Amino acid sequence: MDSNKKYWKGLEELNNDPEFVEKNKHEFAEPIPIEDVLSSGGLSSKTPRRDFLKALGFGVGAVTLAACQKVPVHKSIPYLIKPEEVTPGIPNYYVSSYEGHAILVKTREGRPIKVEGNPNDLLSKGGLNAQAQASVLDLYDYNRLKGPIRGGSDTTWEQLDGFVKNELTAIKAGGKKIRIVSSTIHSPSTLAVIADFIGAYPNTKHVTYDAVSYTGIIQANQNSFGKAVIPHYNFDKADVIVSFGADFLGTWISPVEFQNQYVQNRNNKSLQNKKMSRHIQFESGMSNTGSNADTRILIKPSEQGVALVNLYNEISGTTLPGTKALGNTNAAKAIKLVAAELKAAKGKALVVCGSNDVASQVLVNAINAQLGSYGTTIDLDNYSNQYKGNDAEFVEFVAEMNRGEVDAVLFLNTNPAYDYYAVDTFKAGLKKVRLSVSFSERNDETASLCTVIAPNHYYLESWGDGNAIEGYYTVIQPTINPVYDTRQAEQTLLLWSDNAVKEYYTYVRNTWDKSLQAKGGLASGLKGWEAVLQAGFVKAAAKPAGSYSFSRDLNGVAQTILNQSGRIAAGDGKFELELYQNVAIRDGKRANNPWLQEMPEPVSKVTWDNFIAMSPTDMKKLGYSQGDIATIEAHGYSVALPILLQPGQAQGTVSVAVGYGRTQGGPVADGVGKNAFPFQIFLNGTFQGTAIASLSKTGDVVVLAQTQTHHSFEGRDVIRDTTFKQYQKDPSSSSGEERQHKKYADLWDAYERPTYDWVMAIDLNACTGCGACVVACNAENNVPVVGRDEVRRRREMHWIRIDRYYSFNEEGKEISEEQEISQLKDLDNVSVVYQPMLCQHCDHAPCETVCPVLATVHSSEGLNHMAYNRCVGTRYCANNCPYKVRRFNWFNYWNDARFDNYLINEHTHLVLNPDVVTRFRGVMEKCTMCIQRIQAGKLKAKIEKRPVADGDIKVACQQTCPTNAIVFGNRNDPNSEVAKALKSERTYYVLEELNVQPGIGYQVKVRNTVLEA
Amino acid sequence: MAGLAICGLTAYAQGDASKGEAIFKAKCTACHKLDQRVIGPALGPTLQTETDDKWLTKWIQNNQALIAAKDPKALKIYNEFNQSAMTVFGDLSDGDVANVIAYVRTEYKKEQTAAPAAGAATAVQETGPSNLVVFGLIGVVIIAFIVILVLNKVINTLERLVASRPALAPEEVAVEEAGPSKGILLAKALVKNKKFVFFVCLCATIFFASWTWVSLWNTNVHTGYQPVQPIKFPHDLHAGAMQINCQYCHSGAYKSKNATIPSLNICMNCHKTIDRLSTSKTPSTEIAKIYDALGYDPGTQKYDSTKMHPIQWVRVHNLPDLAYFNHSQHVKVQGLKCQTCHGPVETMKEVYQYSPLTMKWCIQCHKRTEINIKGNAYYEKMEQVHELIRKGGKVTEAMMGGIECGKCHY
Repeated sequence: MDSNKKYWKGLEELNNDPEFVEKNKHEFAEPIPIEDVLSSGGLSSKTPRRDFLKALGFGVGAVTLAACQKVPVHKSIPYLIKPEEVTPGIPNYYVSSYEGHAILVKTREGRPIKVEGNPNDLLSKGGLNAQAQASVLDLYDYNRLKGPIRGGSDTTWEQLDGFVKNELTAIKAGGKKIRIVSSTIHSPSTLAVIADFIGAYPNTKHVTYDAVSYTGIIQANQNSFGKAVIPHYNFDKADVIVSFGADFLGTWISPVEFQNQYVQNRNNKSLQNKKMSRHIQFESGMSNTGSNADTRILIKPSEQGVALVNLYNEISGTTLPGTKALGNTNAAKAIKLVAAELKAAKGKALVVCGSNDVASQVLVNAINAQLGSYGTTIDLDNYSNQYKGNDAEFVEFVAEMNRGEVDAVLFLNTNPAYDYYAVDTFKAGLKKVRLSVSFSERNDETASLCTVIAPNHYYLESWGDGNAIEGYYTVIQPTINPVYDTRQAEQTLLLWSDNAVKEYYTYVRNTWDKSLQAKGGLASGLKGWEAVLQAGFVKAAAKPAGSYSFSRDLNGVAQTILNQSGRIAAGDGKFELELYQNVAIRDGKRANNPWLQEMPEPVSKVTWDNFIAMSPTDMKKLGYSQGDIATIEAHGYSVALPILLQPGQAQGTVSVAVGYGRTQGGPVADGVGKNAFPFQIFLNGTFQGTAIASLSKTGDVVVLAQTQTHHSFEGRDVIRDTTFKQYQKDPSSSSGEERQHKKYADLWDAYERPTYDWVMAIDLNACTGCGACVVACNAENNVPVVGRDEVRRRREMHWIRIDRYYSFNEEGKEISEEQEISQLKDLDNVSVVYQPMLCQHCDHAPCETVCPVLATVHSSEGLNHMAYNRCVGTRYCANNCPYKVRRFNWFNYWNDARFDNYLINEHTHLVLNPDVVTRFRGVMEKCTMCIQRIQAGKLKAKIEKRPVADGDIKVACQQTCPTNAIVFGNRNDPNSEVAKALKSERTYYVLEELNVQPGIGYQVKVRNTVLEA
Repeated sequence: MAGLAICGLTAYAQGDASKGEAIFKAKCTACHKLDQRVIGPALGPTLQTETDDKWLTKWIQNNQALIAAKDPKALKIYNEFNQSAMTVFGDLSDGDVANVIAYVRTEYKKEQTAAPAAGAATAVQETGPSNLVVFGLIGVVIIAFIVILVLNKVINTLERLVASRPALAPEEVAVEEAGPSKGILLAKALVKNKKFVFFVCLCATIFFASWTWVSLWNTNVHTGYQPVQPIKFPHDLHAGAMQINCQYCHSGAYKSKNATIPSLNICMNCHKTIDRLSTSKTPSTEIAKIYDALGYDPGTQKYDSTKMHPIQWVRVHNLPDLAYFNHSQHVKVQGLKCQTCHGPVETMKEVYQYSPLTMKWCIQCHKRTEINIKGNAYYEKMEQVHELIRKGGKVTEAMMGGIECGKCHY
């Protein structure tokens, strides 16, 4: 039994730092200074009687006056002419699409208030990531442009159109170049509009530029198989997955889809069939994917290429010229074992690589071809359109500008002035362009340099379509009238190119009418279109995935890879820098979204900042401690960032997240973190995010707003994990079933739950820690954003948090609490478990017992109710909660100017869920198990005169979870999903020894560890 | 005069106005009025100018044929009224049509001659004393009467005084005034009586305490709240006299948490044709407010969207945000009558708050009212309910968890 295994969230917890212990003694980081008052003469000081009476008199008078105001008159303003489909109080759902995923947009009284996954979506099966969940808030961002701008001042659309059209005509006559620069567009209609524009202005070219580029893969597939595409990966068909730095669960290509696929071979159903995939991750920084891996091997960025070459040699049995042995013995050993495993799983194996280097990707293709992955785990025929950026074309475009060859440039949904590595060259070139137009929604870094800004609609205001995967077409429809005086970019392009079709809506209809409706087997015309607007997508029959053979000579490729490795191998005193995207902020496009900024990044649990992630060993060696600000310099660019102690970071490497350090992203984004994009370089035709960096201490120190050790369990046994081997022997392994706790007498009477018993089951093996549930809960329950300073004071308000636990990766070896940090080496080799933690709705809830005003009480449906208007704010309940899931409102967040910057203002009030109140200062709040959804579900059943069916009611976190790790339902119904899930042998309850009888059962994390590195 | 008018017409139009009246009321009033354009033209003036009765008969009997034949007059009318087709009255004989035309012409003449007189009559009526003045006068009379009575009494007393003491000296009067009267003596005695003082204090304490208690309980309780609304909407007329179902206008009550105040297009379903009380000669100013808000011109029957502006009703029933209330739950599932909470709306001239809308009031009802489970399969699986039904007990909302905090506060 491995109950002696220790799990910890941060080193301060592991080592029991005095400061940490002190902080943890209190429920709140900054207690009320009652001690000071009592001890430091607070009681002995004399208050003169007259002063006392004065204060009393004034207080009573003021309160009386304040209470004497008239009851406000409430107005009730009905529609003049009510749209037939709108009934106030009833939400409407519209299909739409976000980044090619089919979604549902929930609107109330004509306002979109939540984005939910379309359960029939081909890619994510109803799941959504944090970014998509947060996207609804951006609609009401008051920093969006309110109308068109020319030369820095407001103008009208008519004047703007006249000006631009004259310019374009003149430029066309002049014969100089026109360029449309955009991020990847997979919308068939938009691409057709651009083609039409090029038809009208033949000297135009469309350049696709992605901030985070996948050109390497596209080019590699062009070189290997003559297909310049990103293939469609099928992680669900792979028994052995090997990833070289590809964060496919967090950020790589299509993470929501991959999460869903990945978990198919690891969830409860799969485990019961005694099947579990193997996932081996080679990486330098701890990524979200790496933290989920069964085996995680640390390699430096410079070793990645060598490792790939060695893996190829092992699998193919040949030796590529110039092959070196890996300096890293651990990794070298691992490569041999991994190669054997991959070969054994031929046809069911998948190797992916996160590098944007063409040569590395060609080699990965060769490995996959050897493993027979094409046609099974990799599908080159139903390829992905999610990224189509061409780095070389963009670099050439910047050169063209600098040579003065470009007279007009149109930026669509792209911001190179922020995310291009050579910003100065870009800016210098842009100055030479006669007409520069940005379609940006906000006055961002690029738009502010342009002569004209023609602000685009937000996607929730637009018509459009998407084609993320070949053969899968989604539709975008507007769910609200444009909030500001904006115009859809496609519409603008149609007008400027004098297209025969005047309305973009008609244009989209034509596109679908001509071919797409037929592809989905729908009638053409209005009937088919209405069917599309019902379903949200059409799916053409998938082409059979062909198997492709690889026949390219690899000698040159190997040479390039080895040279590349040499380039980034850092010498003494230097670090190998790797840039990465974090799960919350990604490439920084949505950096102005406070929900995303405040969402703790899955691995580091840092909010509102980026940082230099460094291995504990290096930190000790160089005398750094967490929060020290260091200047990091590479490629002639340097920024000062705080250091973060990151267990599991490869020694000699540091990682920095891109997407931060916006200067004109909006009040939320600006000044948060530092921009890391300039660390990129352009090499061998692609952008590459690795470099040799040197670090130097600045002497400044900051406190990172890191939530990892807030709400600590203080070393109690809350996490259980086991290995697949043990699970196969005994399915109840480590779930505690064999451990019979001594049952003491119950202190409380049992509650009756005659009809419903709402409970939850959370599968720790399915949870990847992505954090989508946190943002979904924000949106559903009007959870306020508190900002960096308040997070530092441990006052974040999230009702659901994802606790991330580290443990030493040493089977059987006892690590006790007393043990000092003597074995730093182990800190590089840690494993991670994620545990979503929310109110457990205990049947014997400790919080209920201590509430002096009965504000929190038990319901007959197994829920722990919280009546906010009854709460007087004693905070006893939070002190008595063993799970630390109660949150106190220190401010009236929704009506306090101090929080305006986090978009808590009258604009954003429109995004609030009208069925849930906002909480006032001084009251406690916590997860309600989305009681508004439970009540609505029951009411719907009553109106329809039928019992509530299992699955009718879905709570917000469950609904958005891409891996279905969260199951909610009625335990009294033995056939419900949740009742079945809780019957699983893996189920255990957190702190069940307290006999608080929690309502949320967790299922033991299982790790498929065979190979011990 | 009417006779003269008829005599002046061609022989063809000689019809019986009284017979025509019956036909007119049965068939024409849905779309026509005599003096006013509704869906169709105002018939009075139209028939005065249009004297070709042969053509009129053809038009009335089958206007579609005339339009199809591209008769210029017919097309003009057709286009003027937005090409909305008039019903074809093939069942009317030539005689019937003549009767109708005769009725319209005589009636319109009557109205026109009567109109100035009626106007004068109303004018006279309007100058008559209003109710307020009448009551005011009565009040003044009563007050005056009381004053007279009091004065009489005083005079009597003084006279008696003079009669009993003929030689009333001023000194004596002064002495008598300075000496303690019986009342004062009594008061002094009472103040000294400790039991009495205690009793008074107790009563005062109880009175003030209960007054405080009651006024605190009633803080923010607005039973009887009847704000002035932008339109004096008479529920007694619509829901009472006309017996229009509540849900015709408040359609949300069946399906949503909001009962919803109707949008103006619902009003216009009826008020497109009804612009006044049936007893009134002039259009109602309150109904005109609807037209005004919609930018609707009753003359041309056109909407001008630039003039549209919403009507800002004052909300009568204000539940605080912290309490969730759903109409459909109560109206559709439980089948409650609107009057249970909203009171006798069908008798209210203008709506006022009938129930206190306090939590106590909610809970009382949840404790007392038996829930409507008949025929609702939702309740079938609820063992607790079955147990009670078997015992023949009453199932209230409270037993279903309906008084738990989280059922309304979230």
